[in-house]
Amino acid sequence: MNETPSVLVKNLTIRFGAFTAVDDISFSVGKGEIFGFLGANGAGKTTTIRALCGLLTPSSGEISVAGATPLEPELLKARIGYMSQRFTLYPDLTVDENLAFAGALRKMTPGQAKKRSEELLDFTGFSFGRAKLVRELPGGARQQVALAAAVLHDPQVIFLDEPTAGVSAQAREQFWALIRRMAKQDKTVFVTTHYMDEAEECGRIALMSAGKIIALDSPANLEKTAFKNPLYETLAPEGVNLAQEAKLSGAGHAEPAGLKWRVEVSNPAAWEKLCADKKLLPHPAKPTLEDVFLKLVGAGK
Amino acid sequence: MSFILLKGFFKKELTQALRDKRMRLLIFALPAIQLTIFGFALKTEVRNVRLAVQGRADDALLQRVARRAYASGYFVPAETGADWLAALRSGKAEAVLAGPVNGTLAERMDRDAAPLQLLLDASNMQRAQQLETYMAQIAAQELAEYSGHGRAPPAPSKISVRVLYNPALDSAIFMVPAVMCLVLCVITIILTAMALAREKEIGTFETIISAPLSNTEILSGKTLPYVLIGLADVPIILGVAELLFRVPIRGPLWELGAASAVFVFTTVAIGTVISTFAKNQQQAMMASFLFMFPAILLSGVMFPVENIPDAFKILAHINPLKYFVTLLRGIMLKDMALQSFVFNLSCMAALSAAAVAMAVLRFRQKLN
Amino acid sequence: MSPKLRVAASIALKEARHILRDPLTLAMALGMPVILVTLFGFIIDFHYKNISVSLFDHDKTPASRSFARSLGAANYFRVLPSEDARNPEHTLADNASFAALIINPGFGRDLDNPEDKPAIQLLLDGSDNAKTGIAMGYFQKAAALGLSAARGQRPPPESTPLSTRFLFNHELNSRWFIIPGLTVVICGLIGILLTALTVAREWENGSMEMLLSTPARPGAIIAGKLAPYLLLGFCGVAFVYAAARLVFGVPFCGSHALYALSCVLFLLAATAQGLFISIVTRQQQLAMQFAIVSGLLPSLLLSGFVFPVASMPEFFRYFTFILPPRWFMEISRGIFLKGSGLADLWPQLLMQALLCAVLIKLALKKFKTDLEP
Repeated sequence: MNETPSVLVKNLTIRFGAFTAVDDISFSVGKGEIFGFLGANGAGKTTTIRALCGLLTPSSGEISVAGATPLEPELLKARIGYMSQRFTLYPDLTVDENLAFAGALRKMTPGQAKKRSEELLDFTGFSFGRAKLVRELPGGARQQVALAAAVLHDPQVIFLDEPTAGVSAQAREQFWALIRRMAKQDKTVFVTTHYMDEAEECGRIALMSAGKIIALDSPANLEKTAFKNPLYETLAPEGVNLAQEAKLSGAGHAEPAGLKWRVEVSNPAAWEKLCADKKLLPHPAKPTLEDVFLKLVGAGK
Repeated sequence: MSFILLKGFFKKELTQALRDKRMRLLIFALPAIQLTIFGFALKTEVRNVRLAVQGRADDALLQRVARRAYASGYFVPAETGADWLAALRSGKAEAVLAGPVNGTLAERMDRDAAPLQLLLDASNMQRAQQLETYMAQIAAQELAEYSGHGRAPPAPSKISVRVLYNPALDSAIFMVPAVMCLVLCVITIILTAMALAREKEIGTFETIISAPLSNTEILSGKTLPYVLIGLADVPIILGVAELLFRVPIRGPLWELGAASAVFVFTTVAIGTVISTFAKNQQQAMMASFLFMFPAILLSGVMFPVENIPDAFKILAHINPLKYFVTLLRGIMLKDMALQSFVFNLSCMAALSAAAVAMAVLRFRQKLN
Repeated sequence: MSPKLRVAASIALKEARHILRDPLTLAMALGMPVILVTLFGFIIDFHYKNISVSLFDHDKTPASRSFARSLGAANYFRVLPSEDARNPEHTLADNASFAALIINPGFGRDLDNPEDKPAIQLLLDGSDNAKTGIAMGYFQKAAALGLSAARGQRPPPESTPLSTRFLFNHELNSRWFIIPGLTVVICGLIGILLTALTVAREWENGSMEMLLSTPARPGAIIAGKLAPYLLLGFCGVAFVYAAARLVFGVPFCGSHALYALSCVLFLLAATAQGLFISIVTRQQQLAMQFAIVSGLLPSLLLSGFVFPVASMPEFFRYFTFILPPRWFMEISRGIFLKGSGLADLWPQLLMQALLCAVLIKLALKKFKTDLEP
C-alpha cells in the first residue's frame, strides 16, 4: 500500500483500572478493505473499535483514522460511521424520526438527510413502513435502519461492531452482501464478528484474544500457514476421547467439532496406529478459520 | 451553534417526551392539579380547633364564653365526656375550657385572678400559642361585656394597624406562589436529569457522541427542549393561580416572565449537572431528589428562611428556589421594587451560570 | 423453611446486595434521615422572632423613643431605624423589613389626651399571613408595654381571666412537634419513593420479567423484593427515634410496641404503594414523578406534618382520610408526646390497617393481572 492507510494503530493499550482490555496492539487497514476483527466475547474487539471512533480514551498508543487522530475528535467523527454492538436507535421513535435525527446530528439539511435516508433504506433492502416505531421492527430490519443511520453522512471509514448479532441467517447473508457493496464504493469497512463464516468474507482478519492480536493476515493465508501438518476429520466410536488419545499416542492434536473430531497430525505413524486401534475412518480436511482460531487461541493459553 | 442541530434535538426530545400519554399528563396536567390541591389544602391559619367545655351544667356564663368562641370561627365544638385527658390524647379534642371548680364563672370571676382554665394540646406549639391568644381575647371580651366594666386590657386606641398586600390574611395568597415554584422545580429537574441518564442507560448516548459535536452543542441540544417544556407550564400554573385562587398580579407581567424563564433555565441547568454525575437513570433520580428535597425545605415554601441560623444561611443563599419564591411573592403580591427584582434575578442567573459551567466542564463525550 | 419462604428470602438477599452496592441508593436511604433530622432539628426554626420593624419616628420625643425602645426590648421585634423621608410602604415592598412603625408628631404631647386619634400606625406585610397573625399578637402585648413605658409608668399587670396549661409540650418546643413527624416523612420517602424507583427499574430492564418466568410465586417475589425496603424504613425509624430521644430530648410517653406496630403498618402500606406505582408506570421516569406527587408531597404537605389537617377546608380534611401518612402522623405524635394508648388511637390504627390492606390488595391484583408487558 503506497497511499496512507485508512486506519493506523500503533501500540494501542487500553486499561480499565487493573484490567487490561487491549494490550499493545498494532495494525493498519487500507482504503477499500473489508477488515475483520475476530475473537471471543471479552477479547477486546469492541473496546478497540470504541477507541478508534473516539469514544474511549486509550491508556497509551497512537491512533489515526481517515487521517485524523482522537485529539481532533470532531474531524475524526466527521469522517467515520459507527454502528454499535448495542442497539443505538431510539425505540420510541419511528424509522423516519431516527434517521432525521441522525441527519441533524451530522448537521445535514433536512432535504439532504431525507434523500440519503431513502437511498440507504433502498440500498439496505429495508422493506417495512418508515413510519413504524423502531421497537416494533424485527431484529434484521432494525439492523438495516441502524446501518443507514451510521452511514447517512457518507463517511469514508465505517466501523461495524458485531452487526449481525442476534439476526436470522438469511438477514446475515443479506447484510454481508451490503457490506461487499459498500466496499466496492471504495469505503473502508472495519467489522468485528465472532462468526467464523463471516470472517471468511473479509480481505484480512485480525485474531484477537485476551487483548492481544495473535494473528493478522488474509483468511486464506492464515489457513495455509497456521497448519504445517495435515489435517484430518473423523468420527470416533462412542466413549473414545480422541483429544486424550491423540495426545497420549503422540499422533497429534485433536479438537472436537460438533460430532466429529478434527485432528492435526504431527506423527503420521502414530496416527495410522491409532486409527487402526480405534477403528477410525479419517479423511483429509481443509483447515477452516475456526481451526486456525482454536489452534492459535489454544496455543496462547 | 448549528440551527439544524438544535432543531433536530428539539424535534427528537419533544417527540419522545410528548408521545407517551402519561408523560403528557405528567407535564401539563399534574402541575395544575398539584397546585390546586395544595393551594386549597395548605392553610396556615388557625381554624377548626376542637374545643370542649368542662364545667358545671348550670354555669351560664361559661356557656356564653364557649358560644362566643365557637362563633368566632376559630373553634368548633367537641364532646369529651368526663375524661377530657383521654379526649386530648385521642385527638377528639384539641382544647378544653374549664370553668371554676367551686362555683360558677359569674360567682368566681371577681374573686379569682384567673377563674377560667384553658387546657391545650400543645404538640403543635405554634397553633397552641395562637389559639391561647384568641381564647384570652374572647374570654376577656365576654366577661367585660357581662360585668359592664373592663376586665379586658385597655385597648391601645392610639394605635391603628394596617395589613398590606393581603388584608384578608388569605393563606392561598401566600402559599400559591410557593407551590408554583415547587411544582415547576419538580418537573424540570427530574425531566432533565433523567433525559441524559436515559440515553446513557439505553445506549443511545453512543449515537450522540459518535457525531462530531462539541460539548456545548450536545448539552444545549439535550437541555434547551426542557426549558421550553418548563416554560410551557408557566402559563398553565399562572392560570390556575389566577382563576382558582385569585392571586393578584400586581407587578408587571414581563417581570414574571423573566423570573420564570431564568428559574426554569436554572433548574434545567442543575438537572444537567446532576445527569453528568449519573451513570444511569436511577442514580440521576436519586441525585436530583437529594438536591431537591433540602432545596424545597429551605426555599421559604414551608418555613421562613429568615429564621435559619447564620451558620447555615449560606445554604439558602445558593438555593435558586429561595430566590424564585421571593420573586414570585414579590412580583405578584407587592409589585416589588426594581432594585430588589434585579438583585434576586441576578442571584438566580449567577447560580444558573455556575451550573452551566459545571455541566460543560464535567461532560465527557467518552464512555470511560 | 418452606420453599416459598426460601425463595422470598433469596430474592430479599439479592435485593439487599443490590442496594448495598449502589452508593446513591444507600445515600438516599441512610443519608436522607440524617439530612432531614439535621435540617429540622438544627436549621429550620418555627418561632418567629426578631421580626424586623422599620421605625419612622416623626415625633422624636423622649416618649416616642421610650416606646420604640420598649418594642425592641424583648426578642419579638428588631427595630431598624429609617430615614424620615422614605415611604414606609417601600420598606415593605423591598423586603427591607416585615413591618413599619410610624409614630406621628404629637405622640408624646398627646399621650394622655383621651382623644382617639391614632398617633401610631403599624404597617404589616400581609403576604405571609401566619407571620402577620403572630406579629399582631406580639404587637398587642408589646404595644401595651410600650405605652406604659412612654408614660413613665410601670407596666400594667397581666390581666387576663384565663390561665393556660400547655399539655404534652409544656416547653413549647418546636423540635418535639417536628421530629416525631419526621418518622412519617422518612418512611414515606423510603417506602414509596425508593421502592417505586427500584422496582420500576427492574420492569424497564427486563429483570422482573425474568424473575416472573421462574417457578417462584408472584407473592414470594413481591415479599422478597419489598423486605429490604421495609428493613431500611425501620432503620430510618430507629435513627429518628435515637435522635429524638438522645439529641433533642423528645419524651416518649407511650408504648413502644404500639409504635412499632404502627410503623410496620405504615411501611407495608408505603411499600405497597411504591410497588403499585412501579407496576402502573413500568418506567423509571414516570415512577419517580408519580411517587413524588402521590407519595412524597402528600406525606410532607397533607399529613399534618407542618400544616394542620384541622385547618384544611372540609373537602381536603376528608380527602386526607385515604392518606396513610395522615394517620401515622397522629399516632406518632400521640405516642411520643401524649402517651396515647390503644384505647385512644384505635380509630387511627384501624384506618391505617384498612388502608394498608387496600393498598396491598391493589398492588397484588395489579401485579398478577398485569404480567404481560
